Amino acid sequence: MTGRVALNCPHGAAGVISGMTPSTTYGHVCWVYDDPAALDQAARTFLTAGLAAGERLWYVTAGPVEPVVARLTTTPALGDALARGAAEVVSLPDTYPSGAVVDGPAQVRAYAAATEAALAAGYRGLRVVAEATPLVRTPAQLDAFTRYEHLVDRYMRARPFRAMCAYDRREIDGRAVAELACLHPETNAVEAPFQLFAWDGTGHRAGLTGELDETGEELFVTALERADLRPVDGRLVLEAPGLRFVDHRALLRLREYACRRNSAVLLRSPLPAAARLAALLDLPGLTVEVAR
Amino acid sequence: MRTGAAAGHHGYFHEAVRYDSDEQLLAVVLPFLLGGVEAGEPTFVALGERTGGLVRAALPTGSGVEFLTGGSVYARPTAAIRSYRQLLADRVAAGAGQIRIIGELPEVAFGATWDWWARYESAINHAYDDFPLWSMCAYDTRITPPHVLDEVARTHPRYATPGGEHLPSPTYTEPVVYLREERAAPADPLQATAPLIELTDPTAAQARAAVQAVDRGVLPPDDVDDLIVAVSETVTNALRHGRTPVRLRLWAGPDRIVATVSDAGDGPKDPFAGLLPAGDGATGGLGLWITYQSCNHVSLHRGGPAGFTLRLTAGNPH
Repeated sequence: MTGRVALNCPHGAAGVISGMTPSTTYGHVCWVYDDPAALDQAARTFLTAGLAAGERLWYVTAGPVEPVVARLTTTPALGDALARGAAEVVSLPDTYPSGAVVDGPAQVRAYAAATEAALAAGYRGLRVVAEATPLVRTPAQLDAFTRYEHLVDRYMRARPFRAMCAYDRREIDGRAVAELACLHPETNAVEAPFQLFAWDGTGHRAGLTGELDETGEELFVTALERADLRPVDGRLVLEAPGLRFVDHRALLRLREYACRRNSAVLLRSPLPAAARLAALLDLPGLTVEVAR
Repeated sequence: MRTGAAAGHHGYFHEAVRYDSDEQLLAVVLPFLLGGVEAGEPTFVALGERTGGLVRAALPTGSGVEFLTGGSVYARPTAAIRSYRQLLADRVAAGAGQIRIIGELPEVAFGATWDWWARYESAINHAYDDFPLWSMCAYDTRITPPHVLDEVARTHPRYATPGGEHLPSPTYTEPVVYLREERAAPADPLQATAPLIELTDPTAAQARAAVQAVDRGVLPPDDVDDLIVAVSETVTNALRHGRTPVRLRLWAGPDRIVATVSDAGDGPKDPFAGLLPAGDGATGGLGLWITYQSCNHVSLHRGGPAGFTLRLTAGNPH
């Protein structure tokens, strides 16, 4: 760039967490880190919020348990929780099936059972920090895990289960980061220009935020495929109150996606320009509603 | 079955009418319109308020001629093509053997935005050729500048005269030739000043943010939003189809925002770029077509030292 001006480029402003305190709506955060110390601080903040909310806490670590226990204990409240069993550090192989490629539905069932057990034990829910990098190293792992991320996102919409999914940027490439981050409602990753997430627990409506242009076109197609959205009465509905930009490519891809599901698609956003764009395209099965 | 001067013609029968009095205009237009109605052809008037009123008053009551509001039809060339093509398709689907239209650009089109209206007049020879259309484009020689009349001669295959003749235009130039010529609009005076923002190889997201940054709130928000769409598309096309460096420059005046996007390439090869949607979305033609409908003026500049430049104006073009 030659010009140096203060650009207001709110990349991911709606869904990207800039500070260390995730202001969760329902608590599904993609946290990408270069520095383990930054993850440690973010994780302790996330878990401490769960403690205040009366939730059972898990920290799923990809490495040895003891160092994590030691780090968490530096926050006295978490140390207390660990001591009385309200918080637990478990190793990744104990929580996720080994063999690497995740079985999404089975994994959701496992977390659902753990959530119900927490509720039965008097907690108000289950909150997990999961170091998931070892589960997304290969293309097959990544594909399965991103599909799982949306499945579990739906579950979180329905039940009191919250998770911070942590990925080490030093071990996976930027594209993989984007593919993971764009399927979370909240993230600190700048790699995801948009985010597609569950709007309800049934999978009948999806949420969409961020900016959709040519640079994210392929990512959007991939994310839609993995989210496997379900039409209701012949229509897919995407709620996008935080959408800041959408181009004709994204609208065309959305319509193609819906057509493959024998469905129409409705995108509801606060952007009159998006509605004008849809009117120009004038394609059957594509409706863009302006909702403020 | 076509009637009148266009009988036996296939496709679009495109004529210009030069007139220097109301009597001359009516001498051409009334027989044209009444002939259409008599033949059972859908017959339309898309004139301005004054000339439209003149024709309306001269027609018999209940003539069957339909009046379109000329000002809104001719707001933006690409939108005019889109709406006319829809109108023509609907009438043909309803069984019309020919459709007749008399239209007139508003005088403002002869000013700062004449270059894109000249492109419109040329492009419609192709864009309406799918339909059995006989249309006349009226030009009042008392208010039309000579250089505009020269372009009218090059973009209309023939003239209709008050004497009932239909004469070929000697300088008519095929659209694929005409539309590839350099037809730069005059520089906006703002362009003589330093741009408020200049970015080299910006991402589309950075380009959108830059437009927001120069917005001073003098334009309706929808106009700014549409310019953001246009700049985003233009930068995307330049990065994808042009040659670096891609430069975005932005100016803001009391009644407008002006953006130029330059790249070192030759610009779109499609002579109808911007005026018609490209057949395949891969060439970026849909983005340019959207851009043409999202701004109050778009001008193309080829072959300058900067390579290819697209200038986009929201607000009042100067």
